[in-house]
Amino acid sequence: MANRVLMLFGLIACATAAMLMASTSGAQAPPSKADGLEAWEKAFEVFSHPRCVNCHVPEDNRPRWSGPSYGAKAQYHGMNIIADDTRKKAAGLPCTSCHGVSNLPFAKGAPGAPHWALAPVEMVWWAKSSRDICEQIKDPARNGDKSLDEVVEHVRSDDLVQWGWNPGPGREPAPYSSAELADFLRNWVNSGAPCPVAG
Amino acid sequence: MINLSINGKPVSLDVDPDMPILWVVREELQMTGTKFGCGIAFCGACTVHLDGQPVRSCSTPISAAEGLEVTTIEGLPDSDGKLAKVQQAWIDAQVPQCGYCQSGQIMSAAALLRDNPDPTDEDIDAAMSGNICRCGTYPRIRAAIKAAARA
Repeated sequence: MANRVLMLFGLIACATAAMLMASTSGAQAPPSKADGLEAWEKAFEVFSHPRCVNCHVPEDNRPRWSGPSYGAKAQYHGMNIIADDTRKKAAGLPCTSCHGVSNLPFAKGAPGAPHWALAPVEMVWWAKSSRDICEQIKDPARNGDKSLDEVVEHVRSDDLVQWGWNPGPGREPAPYSSAELADFLRNWVNSGAPCPVAG
Repeated sequence: MINLSINGKPVSLDVDPDMPILWVVREELQMTGTKFGCGIAFCGACTVHLDGQPVRSCSTPISAAEGLEVTTIEGLPDSDGKLAKVQQAWIDAQVPQCGYCQSGQIMSAAALLRDNPDPTDEDIDAAMSGNICRCGTYPRIRAAIKAAARA
């Protein structure tokens, strides 16, 4: 009996060693789908933040004022701001009338960054699920005709994207940093860019 | 030195590049038609045009105007001093009450009429809601814009 138990332990030990070797030799392999989904969820934390979704709005062309900087209830941008389909202006009132190339240096002052505008309507993130945004970002018809490498580079370097982490006094920045977001997306891309099944 | 054109006249200014356009026109150039309202781009009283686009001059540094054309309310009449259609419509409709916001209102209305010569009520609301009038002259502003569009 004792011998048989020992033998069983021996077998388990061998199997474990074999598995360990397999996983060590697999260190060069691409990250798993699970790693990719984990990285995506961190990216989604950023993309679903008010600093992003307030301007990634649907066909109503109305920027939002939501998030901790604006109180508990999401509102539309004050002053009845409704863009035309360019998403850069209403007739006679470009976004840049009030939103210059940098933030005003006091709380409640108009924020600013280069090429201030709503995101194109096909890039709507407002009230969209993790899966919806994931599928959109992978779709060249809805991501500005970008490869995933170009998406990562856009997130890392675009001036208006960078504003999300430097939104001026009184506004909560997007989570993580631009470089961390680019890393999350890089890991996600390397794992095959999986999207969550639901949610 | 910062070089730009104001109401068609070239000017060269020795000012801090961060000085808002509003300070330059009021304090340096003694053109006081443009008003200070809120100072944070929330009320529209200070609206001027920068290369034809309306901007809130209280929040736009003069450095942003380098090489460009600034138009203030003083620059709307033609070279003979004849008022622009939108200004005449404002007088005809007796729009102002206290008047403080009105130069900004007129500059925004001029930009709207240039982009959209026949604006609907919705178009006017979308373009003009960033200009606050504490006297509540909005119905007359809307009427004057429509009159200017017909003129």
